[in-house]
Amino acid sequence: MTHEEIGLSGTPKKSVTIVIDGRKCRADEGEIVLSAALREGAAIPHLCYEASLDPYGACRLCMVEVCHNGKTSMVTACTLHATEGLEIRTDTPEIVKYRNVLFELYLAEAPKSDVIKEMAARYGVTRTRFLKKIDTDDPLGGSCVLCGLCVRVCNEIMGAGAIGFVNRGPYTVVGTPFFEANTDCIGCGACANVCPTHAIRIEDRDGERVMHSWGGGRVRLAQCGVCGKYYAPGALTAATLARLLPPLRDDLAGLCPACRAKRIADEEIRVNMRGGADHHVRPRRS
Amino acid sequence: MDEKTLDDVISRYDSPSGRLLGILGEIQNREGYVPRDALEMLSAKLDVRLSQLYGLVTFYSFFSLKPVGDHVITVCMGTACHVRGAVEVLAALEQLLGIEDEATQDGKFSVTTEDNRFTLEIARCFGACSMAPVVEIDGNLYGYVTPETLPGILGNYGWRES
Repeated sequence: MTHEEIGLSGTPKKSVTIVIDGRKCRADEGEIVLSAALREGAAIPHLCYEASLDPYGACRLCMVEVCHNGKTSMVTACTLHATEGLEIRTDTPEIVKYRNVLFELYLAEAPKSDVIKEMAARYGVTRTRFLKKIDTDDPLGGSCVLCGLCVRVCNEIMGAGAIGFVNRGPYTVVGTPFFEANTDCIGCGACANVCPTHAIRIEDRDGERVMHSWGGGRVRLAQCGVCGKYYAPGALTAATLARLLPPLRDDLAGLCPACRAKRIADEEIRVNMRGGADHHVRPRRS
Repeated sequence: MDEKTLDDVISRYDSPSGRLLGILGEIQNREGYVPRDALEMLSAKLDVRLSQLYGLVTFYSFFSLKPVGDHVITVCMGTACHVRGAVEVLAALEQLLGIEDEATQDGKFSVTTEDNRFTLEIARCFGACSMAPVVEIDGNLYGYVTPETLPGILGNYGWRES
């Protein structure tokens, strides 16, 4: 779907009324129903929803019942778009039954994940009838639900493509090629950030970011030229700076976010004290 | 696999989408497996992430990342062959070749003898169910196989009882 459709173009979106569990709520037309429902405080469990990526519907946990012309059907709320008069229910006996089986499946898929255990327990599921997956080759040690968010964010947003799905069927895991450190990894940590079960282990130490889950790959962190703090992976800062225009880029290179803000503020004050200037971010230094 | 051969293979596939499997398939057929250096070279040449190639190679049971022996024996474990005794045939082959039953880490069954002469694999169906149970060796199909007829068949490939 395009930016216009989801309302990123700046023009105000048409507002529609949707009904969640009998309660009328406002939503933007075309808005993801899960996002609207969460804003309205409806308790819909979900694992694979990430606003910055396209709707995917992998985890199936956000399944809701949609009433349309008197007929009901089950749809994932994260792939459903708001339309005028849309009516959904989040807690019908059918949904509850469906969801409980899913929780059992997730307890078997990721038996080591505390996030899954807690989430399932909140819905009254504490045990699973399915065989627990124990895979000694899994870099994520039995905490991964294979939602694919890390793989997608690495590919689609960061453009690094350092990790991917490996093997097939019950042997599927997420990992780097040959389960070794991958030079494609820029150490941005987006994978760990989006992981719904916090399965990905990354650690910053001694000026390096160590990707424990991805074959122990190491990425050098950039050091702030002013305060000396290590603040972000070198490759990531280089890629970000490359997108800026030269004067600003040169001014900001080698600075941590805190020192960057300080420098811009200092310049701003200096320029204003001198009686103002026609530019306000780009500081001129001789 | 050297660079020239790889360039040669790539040059035969010009469609930018959907050529990966064709190229990988040809590497597999030429070498009997997909060597790591060929994967890395291919990744650099086609500007495709290594993680994507690795995902493809580990997904399809057609590909192997480990070198195979001189002769590849594939036992059909499809439904018809299973019913007609494929399990016994597989067990007999393992015993004759002196290899232990083990699934590899990626869930594919592929075991090579220590002297690198035979590789034992399984397949799901050859489409030759009328001759079940079926065993394929280096592309030659053998039907109505029993543990008793196996030594004779293996004899055609240089196997001798030790």
